[in-house]
Amino acid sequence: MTNLAHDISKPRRTFWTMERRDAAAGYIFIAPQLMGIVLFVLIPLGLVFWYSLHEWNVLANTFNFRGLGNYEQLLRDPALPQVLAASAIFSAGLVVFNMSLALLLAVLLDQKLRGIVVFRTLFFSPVVVSLVAWTIVWGFLLQNNGGINGLLQMVGIEGPNWLRHPTTAMISVIVVQVFKNVGLNMILFLAALQGVPKELYEAARVDGAPRFKQFRRITLPMISPTILLTSIITIVGSLQVFAQIAVLTQGGPGMSTTVLVYYLYQQAFQFHFFGYGATLSILLFLIVAVLTFAQWQMRRRLVFYEN
Amino acid sequence: MHSKTFLKSAVASAAIAASLAWSGVAWAQDAVNLRMTIWSGNEAHLAMFNEIAEGFKETHPNVNVTFEPLPFENYTTTLTTQIAGGNPPDLAWILETTAADFVNSGALAPLTEAFEATEGYDMADVSEQATALWTRDGQLYAYPFSTSPFAIFANNDLITAAGARTPADLIEAGEWTWENAFATAAAVAQAGEADGLVVRDFNYQVWQNVASIWNGWGASPWSEDGKTCSFSEPEMVEAMTAIHDAVFKAGAMPGPGENVDFFAGDAAMTITQISRASLLPKEDPFDWDLVPLPTGPAGEYAVVGQAGVGAFANAPNVDVAVEFLAYMTNPENSAKLAQFFPPARSSLLNAETLATTNPLLSAEQLEAVVIAGISNGKVLPGHTNFAQIQQTVRAELDALWQPDADVAAVLANVCNRIAPLLAQ
Amino acid sequence: MKTDLSPRMKVALYGLMCILLIPFVFPTWWMVTSSVKPISDIFAFPPDIIPRQFDFSTYSQVFELQPFARQYWNSAYIAALVTLGTMIVSSMAGYAFARIKFPFSNAIFMVVLLGLLIPSEVTIVPLFQMFLSWGMINTHWPLILVPVFGAPSVFATFVMRQFFISLPVELEEAARVDGLGRFKIFWTIALPLAKPALGAVAIFTFLHSWNLYLEPIVFLSSTQMFTLPQALTQFTDAYGGAMWNIQLAAATMTALPVLVVFIIAQKQFVEGLAHTGLKG
Repeated sequence: MTNLAHDISKPRRTFWTMERRDAAAGYIFIAPQLMGIVLFVLIPLGLVFWYSLHEWNVLANTFNFRGLGNYEQLLRDPALPQVLAASAIFSAGLVVFNMSLALLLAVLLDQKLRGIVVFRTLFFSPVVVSLVAWTIVWGFLLQNNGGINGLLQMVGIEGPNWLRHPTTAMISVIVVQVFKNVGLNMILFLAALQGVPKELYEAARVDGAPRFKQFRRITLPMISPTILLTSIITIVGSLQVFAQIAVLTQGGPGMSTTVLVYYLYQQAFQFHFFGYGATLSILLFLIVAVLTFAQWQMRRRLVFYEN
Repeated sequence: MHSKTFLKSAVASAAIAASLAWSGVAWAQDAVNLRMTIWSGNEAHLAMFNEIAEGFKETHPNVNVTFEPLPFENYTTTLTTQIAGGNPPDLAWILETTAADFVNSGALAPLTEAFEATEGYDMADVSEQATALWTRDGQLYAYPFSTSPFAIFANNDLITAAGARTPADLIEAGEWTWENAFATAAAVAQAGEADGLVVRDFNYQVWQNVASIWNGWGASPWSEDGKTCSFSEPEMVEAMTAIHDAVFKAGAMPGPGENVDFFAGDAAMTITQISRASLLPKEDPFDWDLVPLPTGPAGEYAVVGQAGVGAFANAPNVDVAVEFLAYMTNPENSAKLAQFFPPARSSLLNAETLATTNPLLSAEQLEAVVIAGISNGKVLPGHTNFAQIQQTVRAELDALWQPDADVAAVLANVCNRIAPLLAQ
Repeated sequence: MKTDLSPRMKVALYGLMCILLIPFVFPTWWMVTSSVKPISDIFAFPPDIIPRQFDFSTYSQVFELQPFARQYWNSAYIAALVTLGTMIVSSMAGYAFARIKFPFSNAIFMVVLLGLLIPSEVTIVPLFQMFLSWGMINTHWPLILVPVFGAPSVFATFVMRQFFISLPVELEEAARVDGLGRFKIFWTIALPLAKPALGAVAIFTFLHSWNLYLEPIVFLSSTQMFTLPQALTQFTDAYGGAMWNIQLAAATMTALPVLVVFIIAQKQFVEGLAHTGLKG
C-alpha cells in the first residue's frame, strides 16, 4: 500500500500503473516464444496452406494455382477412408496400450524394492536407443521365422505371420512404437504417483479400504492431471509416427497400416505431389487441433483438482 | 507449332545465357562451387571422387566440386526437399527407379551435345542398352555410371549336402533352367538345414526386383511405351504362377515375412547384384559360385540395375556442371569409376579391367556374368511416377503372397488399379 | 500404496518386472552385442545371444570412417545450447502465461499451443526455404533456432506454465509489496523454486535434440557438420551396403552416455517432477 501511495505522489509515473507495468512485463516475457511461433510455425503453416492451393510438381518445376482443386481431390480420394480408418485404429490402440502399460510400469517401479533404480533405467533405455537399431531388431523378431514365433513354438503355439496380416501388422506397429517410447510416460506417471500425499492412503487404510479401491478412489483422481497431459502428448505424437511403419510394413499389407502422416509423406516426398501433400498436411493439422481441443475441454469433467 | 517456337526461343535464350555465363567465367575467373549429392558415405568412394575433382581443377582452377553424402533410405526425399526449397544441387546421383521421373520432368540438363563436343569422350563407346533408361527423344539426361548385372550366388556345400545338382553341373549339362534351379532350391529346403532361393532385397515388397525372374518368361509389367499394363498378360501370369508354386507348393523360396540371409549360409542360392560379393564370409567360408541367371521359357536373358548421375538445368552453373560430368565420365575417369561401379563403356568391359574391381571373382565368372550381363541386360522396370505405381502395385500384390491366391485374378486387379496411373 | 512388502510379494514383483523387461532390453542387448560381431554373424538365425567372437576394432573404425568425434561434439553442443535456450525461453513464457495478467494472454497461449500440434514433416519445406534465404543451410542454426523458439519448445512452455500455476502465489505477493519488479521476482523467487520442472524440461529437450533425425539430413550437407543420428546412416561399404557392425558400434556409443546421465539424474528428475504435480 505504501508503494501505491508512493506512486501517486509522483504524477510523472501515473501512466505506468501496476497493471500496465505488468502487461508490459508479460509481453516481454513471452516475446521470444511468440516470435518463434510466428516465424517457425505460423508463417510456415500459412505457406503450407498457400501450397495446398497449387499444383506443385517439384521435379517438373511447375507451380500452378488450382484453387480448391486439391481439396476436391481430397474428398474424392478413394484411399482416404482407408487411411483415416488406419490412423484412427493406430492412434486409439497406441494411446490405450501406451497409457495402460506406462501406468502399470509406474506402479511397479513405485514400490520400495532393492535395485529399483536399475529397473527404472532399463525400462527407460529404449527411449535413447537408435531408432534404426530398434526397428531392425523388431523387424527380425516379428518375422514369420523370427524370435517371437520361436518363443511361441516352445509353448506349442503356432504364431501368426505378424507383419503379413492386416490385424497382426497393425498390432505389431503399435506395440513396437509403444515399447520404444513408453518410458517417457512411465516417468511422468511415476512422478505423479510419488506426488500423491501419503496421508490420503493412511486415512483410507484406517477405513479398511482394499488396495484396488485405494487405487481407484485416491490414486487415479490424484494423478488425473498427469493422465490428461500424457494422453494429449501421446495422441498428438501418435499422429506423427511413420518412420517405423515405413520400415516394418511400408504401409501394408494392402493399405492396412498406411496412417495419415505416412500417406502425406508418400504423396509429397515420394510421389512428388507437394500441393496435394500440403493439402493432407492441413487435414492432419485440423484433426490434431480438434482432438486436442476436445481433450482440453473434457478436462473440466474428468480431471480432479485438489483446490 | 507453338510449342516448337517456344522451344526454339528457350534454346536460344539458354544459349545466350550459357555463353554469357561462360564468358563470365572466362573473364572474371569467378570461383564456381559445384555440389554433387551422392548416397554413399564410403570414404574410398569419396577419395576417388575428390581425386577426379582435383584433376578437373587442372584445367578449371576456379571450380571446386564437393560431394554431399545423403542417407540412402532418404535420398530422394532429401534431394526433393532441396529442390523444392530452391536449393538444388548442381549434380546428383539418381536411382534407377526414379530415372524416368527425373529424365522426363525437364529438371535435368541435356548432355549429349556437350559430351560429343568433349575431346576424346567417344560417345559410341557407351553401350546404348545402358543409356536407354536415361535418354529421352535421343537426348541423354543422365549418365549411367553404375550398371550392375543380377546373377545367382550359390552355396555348393548346401547343395551337394542335399544331394541336388549344383548350378555349375546344370550349366555344363546345358540344363540351367528355372525349372531345374527351383528343383535344386526345393531339394535344399527339403533337406531342412537351410532355405532354397532368396531374391535379395525383395521381401515381398520391392517387387521390381523379381524382374530378375520374370524376364525369363519374357514378361514385363507394362508395354514398351509405358502406356498399357501387361501384368495380366499370359507371360506374366505364367511367370508369377511359377514363382507362387515355388514359394507355396515346392517350398523352394522362403515365404513372405521370412528373413533369410544367403551370405550367412542360410540359403542355397540368392539372386542379387555382383557387387554383393563383398558380403561373402571371410572367416569360415563356404564353397560358393557365381552363375548367370537360368534360362526361362523365353530363353536366355540378363537383367541389370543402374544408377545415373545428372546435372540440374536450373542450377546457376549448369554449364560448368555438365562440363565436369563430361570430364568425370570420360574414358580415363570411367576406368577409375570402374573400381567400384561396373561401367557402361564397352572398352572397359573386359575381364582384365573388371578383375581389379571384383577381386573375388574368377575370369570365367566375370566373362559369363558381368560382361555378358552388361552387354545384353535389360534394365529393371521404371516409369514416370514410379514411386506411386510401385506402392499401388505393392499393395495389390500383397494378395498374391497367400497360399491360396488366385494368381490371374490378382494380376488383373493390379492392372485395374494402375491403368489410370500409366495412362497419365 | 508404499507399504513394506512381504518377501513373497517381493519375489513376485521381481519376477513380473523381469518378464516385462524382455521386450525392452533385448533390442538394446542385440545392438551392443552385434557391434562386436563379424558382419556375417549379425543376421544369422537364430541370433547368438552371446557373440561367438568379439571384435572391438569396429569401435576404432567408427572414428576412422567418419569424423565421429567432431559429429559427437556437434550433437553435444547443439543439444546443450538447445536445452539451455529452451529452459530460458520456456520458463519466461510459462511464467508469464501462469502469473502475469495481460490483455489477450489466453488467446496468445492458444496460438502458442498450435506449435504442439504440427508434425515437422508438415513445415519442413517452408522452413528450408526460409533458412535458405537467410543463408543458414549447412549451418547448425536451424537445428538450434527452431527447437529453442519454435514448435519443440512449446511442450516445455506448457510444462513450465503448469508448474507455475501450482506454485503458491503468496511467495511472490510479499515481494511485490516490497516493490520488486517482475523480472526480479521471476529471477530470484520463482525460478529457483522451479528447479524440478526445469529438470524435467531439460531432460525432454535434450533427448529431443539428441535424437533429431529429419531436420539434420535436410539442413546439413557436409560430414563435418553432421549430427549423430545422421552420421549413423553413413557407415556403408564400397557398394553401398550397410556396415552393420560398425553402425551399431556407433549407435551404442550414441546411446550409452545418455543412459549414464539418466542413471545419475533419474532420482532427482522423478522426485522433482513429483513435487510439481503437472496439472492440466
